[in-house]
Amino acid sequence: MASSLSLTPFNFRPHPRFSPPSSSSLPRSGRKPAAGVRSEMKIYKGTRIREQRLTEMIEQKVAEAKQVCGEDETSDECKVAWDEVEEVSQAKADLRLKIHHLQQDPLEHFCQENPETDECRIYED
Amino acid sequence: MAVSTVYTVQIQSLNSISTPSKSHLGFNQLLYSSGKKTRRATHISCSADNDKTVVIGLAADSGCGKSTFMRRLTSVFGGAAEPPKGGNPDSNTLISDMTTVICLDDYHSLDRNGRKEKGVTALDPKANDFDLMYEQVKAVKEGIAVDKPIYNHVTGLIDPPELIKPPKIFVIEGLHPMYDARVRELLDFSIYLDISPEVKFAWKIQRDMAERGHSLESIKASIEARKPDFDAYIDPQKQYADAVIEVLPTQLIPDDEGKVLRVRLIMKEGVKYFNPVYLFDEGSTISWVPCGRKLTCSYPGIKFAYGPETYFGHEVSVLEMDGQFDRLDELIYVESHLSNISTKFYGEVTQQMLKHADFPGSNNGTGLFQTIVGLKIRDLYEQIVASKVAAPLEATKA
Repeated sequence: MASSLSLTPFNFRPHPRFSPPSSSSLPRSGRKPAAGVRSEMKIYKGTRIREQRLTEMIEQKVAEAKQVCGEDETSDECKVAWDEVEEVSQAKADLRLKIHHLQQDPLEHFCQENPETDECRIYED
Repeated sequence: MAVSTVYTVQIQSLNSISTPSKSHLGFNQLLYSSGKKTRRATHISCSADNDKTVVIGLAADSGCGKSTFMRRLTSVFGGAAEPPKGGNPDSNTLISDMTTVICLDDYHSLDRNGRKEKGVTALDPKANDFDLMYEQVKAVKEGIAVDKPIYNHVTGLIDPPELIKPPKIFVIEGLHPMYDARVRELLDFSIYLDISPEVKFAWKIQRDMAERGHSLESIKASIEARKPDFDAYIDPQKQYADAVIEVLPTQLIPDDEGKVLRVRLIMKEGVKYFNPVYLFDEGSTISWVPCGRKLTCSYPGIKFAYGPETYFGHEVSVLEMDGQFDRLDELIYVESHLSNISTKFYGEVTQQMLKHADFPGSNNGTGLFQTIVGLKIRDLYEQIVASKVAAPLEATKA
């Protein structure tokens, strides 16, 4: 049966939950346009710093968890350590979702009001 | 009490138009004429503004407020959900015209350091202040704004509070919306998102594998370590939910990447204002493969099932979809065969799914059932509001 119902290009290709920003071939829901539909994204410096910080925290907390659990896998310390890993991993993923898929930079409103602050310099890859 | 509310409002609107240049309008004319001022009067008397807010609980282990479920839900009501403007950039709250979604992590009594010291995970009830949660959700439900704390997931600290004004629809999302019995009583509708271990693992791999520091082992270890607390404190909440969305691996093909999903919408019977979705014949047992002569599906196809079951001692109806949509006409075809989906026009489900075609789950049962639950919640909300308006009208007739 032909898809004679020709609405906006319909692309139901399944894609990973939090795909890297370069896979922007899927239709957007028509919010404000990204600065070029490429992997480079304009984001505020403050947001970029947050993103980097979370990346470092993930690495650091995974290492901590491995160390703590190496001593005693059944300890409370071990499960708390992995819970922290989960927390920062999710926080990083949420931030990436906001920036790359939803065009909702967390600093958007603040930077519109205070464009001159250091945090609000536009960061281009 | 409800009757006096209506009267007060009408008096207010009378005052607002009693300027000398305006002609005098009688009481009845205020209600039924179509002038601008009148529209305002009827709007005030019909809205839920002076009355309680409808509260929805969503239990999910996937972070807060950014979940696609919330975005689909707020989209059904119209408008995009956005963080509060001008507030803490790390706020977890989302606000749209009709809805406010808060993250229950904001009720952590212990911040990251505190939890480390005490040796408790965020899943543990000991890390959460249920008294405050109950107080504030109750207040919002009764129309009172609250100063809600903010838990900052980046710093791991508890930040200064933000003001939450009572919306029409108040969604509380997080790990423990149904844990505390008092909070449970406040919920007009509750949903539990039940992700099976295999799918959880697949999703977390997709989420984390690109991160430096993560590997298959670390992802697995993290899930394993959290499992005891999850099983003890989070999982048992599903027995209280009015609707459970269960996400499982497909049975159509061997698929260990979690790409093709089997999704079950488990709907409790007998819930006020909630009429479960059904296929063809309510209460019967159906197995349906839509692909055939009229509809060509691409691999691996689509399979539906529907039927009555028992879930933790409750009567439920279960609608199940295994497989994925690949084309628009598949989705419309399926939508046209479902009943009790509470759409306002033919194709509304399809339209909502298309609107968010870039969200995960848009091509399978997760997106479909999340959208349908969103429509059921809208229907529930409208029924609740209608019942509140009906009560005072009944009283005035008497």
